[in-house]
Amino acid sequence: MAEDEIKENIPEVETTQEAPAVEELLLPRDTLLSAGIHIGTRMKTLDMEPFIYRVRPDGLFVLDVKKTDDRIRAAAKFLARFEPAKVAVAAARLYAQEPIKKFCEVTGATPIIGRFIPGLLSNPLYPNRIDPEVIVVSDPRADAQAVKEASRVGLPIVALCSTDNEFAGVDLVIPTNNKGRRALAVVFWLLARQILRERGELAADKDPAATIEDFEAKISREEEEEP
Amino acid sequence: MTEKTATLSLVTCTSCGKPIPPGTEATKFLCPNCGEIQIKRCGKCRKFGRAYKCPKCGFTGP
Repeated sequence: MAEDEIKENIPEVETTQEAPAVEELLLPRDTLLSAGIHIGTRMKTLDMEPFIYRVRPDGLFVLDVKKTDDRIRAAAKFLARFEPAKVAVAAARLYAQEPIKKFCEVTGATPIIGRFIPGLLSNPLYPNRIDPEVIVVSDPRADAQAVKEASRVGLPIVALCSTDNEFAGVDLVIPTNNKGRRALAVVFWLLARQILRERGELAADKDPAATIEDFEAKISREEEEEP
Repeated sequence: MTEKTATLSLVTCTSCGKPIPPGTEATKFLCPNCGEIQIKRCGKCRKFGRAYKCPKCGFTGP
């Protein structure tokens, strides 16, 4: 009888172990998907292949949100180890400039907005030269000058990469949509929040005072208002 | 006259395992995931986007 009872109990134990683990993302999956952080381009590079989830019927490559989430966590851990002022963030793209301004305001990083002046990192004779220890770029192709100079001086480079980017010179990739207004706002907000949490300046269940809307570029709205 | 010999120990690249010559576009940083192991990447591996793996936590980059 005892053996029968044991046999009967075994399958129950196994079924409980097979229950799927609940995945925890930094934001609810719907919020991330509605911001479009998973939307790539119609072009795919071999470097970005491991981060691509599927291809849509219209030809757009879609990124894996879980991998984006994991990389945001890793990048935040990495950036939190540096002194805040020694982290430089470069953005040549118009839609990335407002998120970066806000990101630097929240985390204390150094912004490099608009045109990257050649020699800003590598020319010791340039009077406004900056000397960071790590650099974050919003798009390695648009910020090619920043990547080139950071490589030359031996700085680690963290880059937001879409499906059409290559890894040349990049040391840590965050796979995400780096062209969308909302997507950039969400990614930089998440990165800022996670950095503050890693530094211990923010509780693990709290959000920063600045919202995602504050991180969003307002350029298109202003243009719409103009007659 | 006594001959003085100096030994130069070069760090090796985490990606390709080759010694990194000084003066190249190499970099070194702590593992983004565990932060305990120093990852060293030579200029060529950075340029070609070659993968590196943390020997401690198994984090694969870039």
